[in-house]
Amino acid sequence: MAYKFPSEEWIAEFGKAINANEEYKRTAATWEGPVALIFNAEPAIGLDEDFCVWADLWHGECREIKKVTLEEAQKAPYVIRGSYANWKQVVQGRLGPVKGMMQGKLKLKGNLPTIMKYVKASDELVKCAAKVPSEFLDE
Amino acid sequence: MGYDRSLSFIFRCPTKIVFGEGVAGDVGNEVDELGGKRAMIITDKHLVETDLYRQVEKALGRRYVGTFSAVEPDTGVHIVNEGTDTARKLNVDCLVSIGGGSVIDTAKGIAIPLKEGGRLEDYDGFQLLTEPAVPHIAIPTTAGTGSEVTFAAIIKDHQEKRKLVFANTYIIPNVALLDPLMTVGMPPHLTASTAMDAMSHAVESMHTSERIPISDAFALHAIHLIVNYLPGVMEDGNDLLARGQMLIAACIAGAAMSNTHVGLVHALAHSVGGRFGVPHGIANSILLPHGILYNLDACPEIYAAIARALGVDIRGMSDEDAGKKAADAIWELTKKAGLPQKLSEVGVPENGLEEIADLAISDGAIVYNPKPMDPEENLKVLKQAW
Repeated sequence: MAYKFPSEEWIAEFGKAINANEEYKRTAATWEGPVALIFNAEPAIGLDEDFCVWADLWHGECREIKKVTLEEAQKAPYVIRGSYANWKQVVQGRLGPVKGMMQGKLKLKGNLPTIMKYVKASDELVKCAAKVPSEFLDE
Repeated sequence: MGYDRSLSFIFRCPTKIVFGEGVAGDVGNEVDELGGKRAMIITDKHLVETDLYRQVEKALGRRYVGTFSAVEPDTGVHIVNEGTDTARKLNVDCLVSIGGGSVIDTAKGIAIPLKEGGRLEDYDGFQLLTEPAVPHIAIPTTAGTGSEVTFAAIIKDHQEKRKLVFANTYIIPNVALLDPLMTVGMPPHLTASTAMDAMSHAVESMHTSERIPISDAFALHAIHLIVNYLPGVMEDGNDLLARGQMLIAACIAGAAMSNTHVGLVHALAHSVGGRFGVPHGIANSILLPHGILYNLDACPEIYAAIARALGVDIRGMSDEDAGKKAADAIWELTKKAGLPQKLSEVGVPENGLEEIADLAISDGAIVYNPKPMDPEENLKVLKQAW
């Protein structure tokens, strides 16, 4: 079964995939703190408002993952934001998150050197996202 | 040196690069072209006392509204915020930086809140800006960092004792005035160490896992220029031809690195500098040949190309042998330039190596090294370099 990307069902599956990933557990063993992901609104494909995800990541575990309001998302110490097309590339494994930021396709609010220490963990998160069967809004 | 079909990249170098003896005197025209009416100079307390500075101030003429000269090496958030306050009071609409990497990074930092409002720390992140920052003309007085064309400003939060990286396409300086006359006063030791900073940008941009062909081209030419002109500029600091070529080398090595990443050498050098205060260029200079030898089996063909750019006759050699010759050529260059050869010569104690090896693992640069690294592997390289 494919899950609409993004949707509350999709993010729940994403959370399960994170917690099933041993390599993520290892590479994010010292990571502490929530990360917010914001998918910019794109009414043309049915994304009428920004879709915001709050992932409470702690020591290699996803303690909670949920849809939140933009206001809540912006309170996270790390906020990554991008267009639907660019997030889709990330989820499909065609764009690494750090490369995406280098190229200006994704925007990060938060301390860059800290994020850079966890590049391997962020790659594992992308692998987790790629494992979720996805149905894309623009297809 | 080959690439496969997975190659995909964006190369940016939006800076207008103006080169030539005396081009710093064109700064007024450049301000006009950027639509500026009220320009502030950013520099340090030493440069502000020099004729070089006075020439730029004079060239700005009616557009000059003031100077912020409180920049220190290893610039800080508090310095940037102070500079921003000064710029706001003066109603500045264009920044002119005169100095090395710390000064240029300070101006990049000021350009952010001056346009967006608030304080610098509000913009801690990657690609956060949505529109160009305040126009910035950079006039480098060293030939090393390449900050005049890079998209990052490294600014320390001295209170929190942590390094902040403001990385954004919109803070790449609009104009770089590469004037050989501006680097003539640079002392030999600084000339050599900044040159090796540029050399390490060039080499590391080529062996990083994120390398791209356009950066390769810039890097290879930068290496060629440094090996050919550093000896001349060391022999005669007034050799304007050599000074100019070194400025070009640093600029294009910076552009190469700004579009790729760096690797093991920078990761170790950051830790050596952070822990034992070894200047960045010196640390890079010592570590670079060891980094090449360590990575040799991962990408020998790249080091063979680097060897060729260094002027080594590699005909009949295997790529591995050519790579070893590349490391030898860098040693020869740094010895001739009078730079230290070992970490033990620059105040790094042997019992500090393990700490450096551990620290470097948490440096972002390490993940782009062509070979995966861990503290044990780092320690092997450090022991060789000690």
